[in-house]
Amino acid sequence: MSKTDFETDFWKDAGRRKAWDDIVPGEPRKTIPYVLTLEAIHKYCRAVGENHPLYFDEAYARTTRWGGLIAPPSIHILLMFACTPADDWMRSPGTINVGQSWSYNVPARPGDPITLQARALDKFVKQDRLFVVHDNVFFNQHGQVICSGRGWTIRPE
Amino acid sequence: MSASYETLTAGTRIEGAKFDVTRESIRAFCDASLDYNPLHLDDDYMKGDFGRTNFGGVIMHGMTNFGLITRLLTDWAYPLGAVHRRLETRWVKPVKPGDTIQPVGIVKSKTTSAKARWVVIDVVVNNQRGEPVATGEALVEFPLAG
Repeated sequence: MSKTDFETDFWKDAGRRKAWDDIVPGEPRKTIPYVLTLEAIHKYCRAVGENHPLYFDEAYARTTRWGGLIAPPSIHILLMFACTPADDWMRSPGTINVGQSWSYNVPARPGDPITLQARALDKFVKQDRLFVVHDNVFFNQHGQVICSGRGWTIRPE
Repeated sequence: MSASYETLTAGTRIEGAKFDVTRESIRAFCDASLDYNPLHLDDDYMKGDFGRTNFGGVIMHGMTNFGLITRLLTDWAYPLGAVHRRLETRWVKPVKPGDTIQPVGIVKSKTTSAKARWVVIDVVVNNQRGEPVATGEALVEFPLAG
C-alpha cells in the first residue's frame, strides 16, 4: 500500500467510526487484504532501528533456517492499519493504546498477501475509563497463522 | 562462556540499543506503521485533556516500545538458534520527543515442553531517567537438545 492510497487524516472519517457504546464484543471488524512489500518492511525496520540482515540481505537470508528474507515479528504493527479500512474504530483520534500481547507462528515475508480476522473481544469500564479489548489473527496466502494478538485500548469519549 | 540455553540462568541480562525519540522519529513511525493518530502529530490537539490526563504535547506511539523490545529479543535469539514466540507489554509512562529509551530483558525462568525448550524473559523499556515506560514478558523458543 502506498501512502497515497491510505488516508492519513484520521479525523476525516471519524464520524463513521463506532464509538465505545456501539462496539459489540464478538462482532467481526471489516478487514481488507494487503500485500506486504519489501519497501514497507524496510520502512518499518528503519523506524525502529531494525538492521538484521534477515530483513535486508537476500543472500544471507537464504542461508538461514528461514530460507529467504522475512519481516520482523512486530510487522503486525503496520499490518493492523494496512488490513483495516478508514472507518475502523482503531483509527479514532484519541484512541490510547495501553498494552498488547502477541504470539508468533511463521514469519511474514515480502510479497505475502496477508489477511486479518479481527474483532472486539471485550469492553469494560475501569477507573471511569472506557476500555475495549481487540483480538486479531493475521494469515498468509497458505492459510498459515503469522501471528495472533490482543490489545487493550482506552476509547475516546 | 558463550550464551546457550544451558548457560542461561535467572537474572541473565540482555541490553538493547538506545533509541532517541524526536518528532522526526515519531513521524517516521507514523509513516511506517500507518498509525496517524493525532496523539502523535498534533500539538494543538494534545493541549486538551484525556480524562484526568494531560500529556502536554505529542507522545511517541506505545508500539514503538513494542518494536524496540522485539528487536532486542530477535537480535539476541537469532544467533542462539532460538525463535521469539511471544511478547506481552503494557505502557506505564508516556514517551515524548527529547527522551532516550532503552529496552532491557532479564531472564526469568526456563521450561521444557514435549517438543521444545522455553525461556521466559521479563522486559522493560527505561527512559533516560531510569524510569520504566513499558514493561512486559516475552517467551523465546529453543530447540530440544541433541
